[in-house]
Amino acid sequence: MAVKSSVRAPRLSARGPSRGWKQVAANQAFLLPAVAAFIFMFVIPLAQSFYWSLTDFTGYDPNPNFVGLANYKLILADKSMLSGLAFTIMFAVGTTVVVTALAIPLAVQLNKAFWGRGFARSLWFFPAIPSAAILGMVWRYILSPLESGALNTVLKTFGTGPVPWLSNSRLAQLCVIGVGVWCATGWHAVLYTAYLQSIPAEYYEVARIDGASSLQQFFTITLPLLSPAIVVSTFLLMTGGLKVFDLPFTLTNGGPGFSTYTITHSLVQFGVGQGRYGISSALAVLFTITVTAVAFGQLRLTRIMERHFG
Amino acid sequence: MKIRRFAPALAAAAAMAISLSGCGEPEDGGTGQETGGSQAETTTITLLSWTREPQMTPQLEAFAAAHPEVKIDVTYSPPVDEYIQTLQTRILSGTAPDVFIITAENKTNLIEGQYVLDLAGEPFMQKVPEYNRRALGKDGAEYGLSVASWAGGLLYNEDLLAGVGYEAMPESWDDFLEMGKKLKETGVAPYLQAGAGLNDTLIALLGARDQQEDHQMDAKIFAGESTFAAEYTPVLEGYNRLVTEGIMSPDVVGLDSEQLLTEFSAGRVAMIPAGPWNITPIAEANPELNFKFALVPALAGTEPYASGCYSAGYAINVASDAKQQAAAKVFLEWLTTPEAAAIINQETGDATVLPGYEPAVPPQYEPMVPSIQAGEIYLPQASWSRSEDVLATEFSAQLQRMIQGEITPKQVAEALDAKLAAAG
Repeated sequence: MAVKSSVRAPRLSARGPSRGWKQVAANQAFLLPAVAAFIFMFVIPLAQSFYWSLTDFTGYDPNPNFVGLANYKLILADKSMLSGLAFTIMFAVGTTVVVTALAIPLAVQLNKAFWGRGFARSLWFFPAIPSAAILGMVWRYILSPLESGALNTVLKTFGTGPVPWLSNSRLAQLCVIGVGVWCATGWHAVLYTAYLQSIPAEYYEVARIDGASSLQQFFTITLPLLSPAIVVSTFLLMTGGLKVFDLPFTLTNGGPGFSTYTITHSLVQFGVGQGRYGISSALAVLFTITVTAVAFGQLRLTRIMERHFG
Repeated sequence: MKIRRFAPALAAAAAMAISLSGCGEPEDGGTGQETGGSQAETTTITLLSWTREPQMTPQLEAFAAAHPEVKIDVTYSPPVDEYIQTLQTRILSGTAPDVFIITAENKTNLIEGQYVLDLAGEPFMQKVPEYNRRALGKDGAEYGLSVASWAGGLLYNEDLLAGVGYEAMPESWDDFLEMGKKLKETGVAPYLQAGAGLNDTLIALLGARDQQEDHQMDAKIFAGESTFAAEYTPVLEGYNRLVTEGIMSPDVVGLDSEQLLTEFSAGRVAMIPAGPWNITPIAEANPELNFKFALVPALAGTEPYASGCYSAGYAINVASDAKQQAAAKVFLEWLTTPEAAAIINQETGDATVLPGYEPAVPPQYEPMVPSIQAGEIYLPQASWSRSEDVLATEFSAQLQRMIQGEITPKQVAEALDAKLAAAG
């Protein structure tokens, strides 16, 4: 390492400091559009949101009153918000764990050669195509708690039911998470399949010669080499889960009570629905901080796991 | 030299400018000359219409024929959220139209922000019922001209009720529950409602109590003279008997309005809370179904009542010039004529509340017309004077919890008190 450094230094000085500076500036110039977009589309709106979060802005008066941290206090004391936060975390963690647990074995199966593999892959991938809002409406019909509901009609033929799928708080939460898992599993299985195809077949061949069982091959070859895919997949699932709105909105509309209420539901309701932009902005600021913290925490955790398995 | 070179171009430009100004419209809100040499002045006003273009155009054409001296420059924005957002943006940017809509969703912001002209005392305001004037006013001021209302109540399957010996809806809540038990014995669901939002049954029960208190029930709560717990708890306890006496399944919290209409159209439920917009979908889904509206039966000490609300009202921008405001009043005056009422009723189906015209409504809806015309209708969001959306959301969620048996009626009302206190 020391040898390399001593070699590089003279070459840089031979080109001259001004040429190096110009090169760096030229390179950096290519970043300007992205930086500008980041500033205008993220930093400034975020700063504006923070400013509005300290006011009682309703969207009508351009000169709102400064209210300090009152909006933040109101949010942290509001039961519906706390309920929304709890379910949002439950949904994000629940879907991330279950989808990951289902998608990896599914990907392994879909990666094997069998008749109709293309069709099977398409079938599993299909739920990822329609919008979650449409799927929510379809599942609302299927999971109707009435005796005439689609699933309850099927259960009736077996002499059971009706089950209050969406009218019982706990069942409604499980239903939303269940439909969320159903929507996402196929897509993430395809992601894992892509990574699986990059694992050299020789590794498995050597393992088989050494007498490794299928389970041993999975835990010692497949899983460690899938760790980059797991990082990407869980990151997408967790951030998507924290931002979820459309599925619970159409499936349960946040109910019964506030049992399936989410943070983004509150954001939309306070901001767009009720014109309480001050509170909505405060919620957005808190939400951004939470998502950032969770995302960084998760990245750090997955990198540790990557190093451990890799 | 330069002047000589550019002279032809300047002359051409001047000629074009003169000809264009001759063809053009007068300045926004300004006056212009009628064609044909007459000196009659026209005043142009701007209108942001809530009514969609196909329904609004006949109204505007009739007005233009009756009042050529006022020209309306109209833009459209569909109700509700998009309209509220568009108007809010235009007010914030200082480009609000001369005439716009004031309704339950924006009235507090418009009135408290002093964006609307007080119309109290205008002759045309005297033509609409006191309810419509009071609903869009505050402290004696009247800010919107609402020329129609809607009413909601119980929609019932006439054949199913006849099957248990009832030719009409009972008038008392006790009799209503008794009828529900008889219906249940026949194997049909007596009553269902959608889970989200506030249902017309509870709203009407609250309205009956409000009527009993000379329409001061909510005013007292918002003035701090009473509480939701004191006013709403007795009504909620009566309403909750639907669940505790087995007339309504707690599963309704998982139902949406589409599923509700499907159940009613299929004849699997005898009664549902509904509004006039439900008539056509039900009639189309099952043309053979005999159904009718009725007022919601009354709790002890009250009268059968209807849910309902004024239709969105027309307001005048307080920041408009005096000339535009005067022209806007001409338009509002015209809206209260029998000619306008007929067109509005015909084009939108709204039940107008204006003198000199009897609105045509579907036969199933006829029992509700007297309540509409008397202004004997109630909607909490229209009656509450602030934090309407916040309270409605809280009310709906807590109601679901009560139906599930998680909390008591009193706790629902106390949650509303807590929410109102937090919202300020």
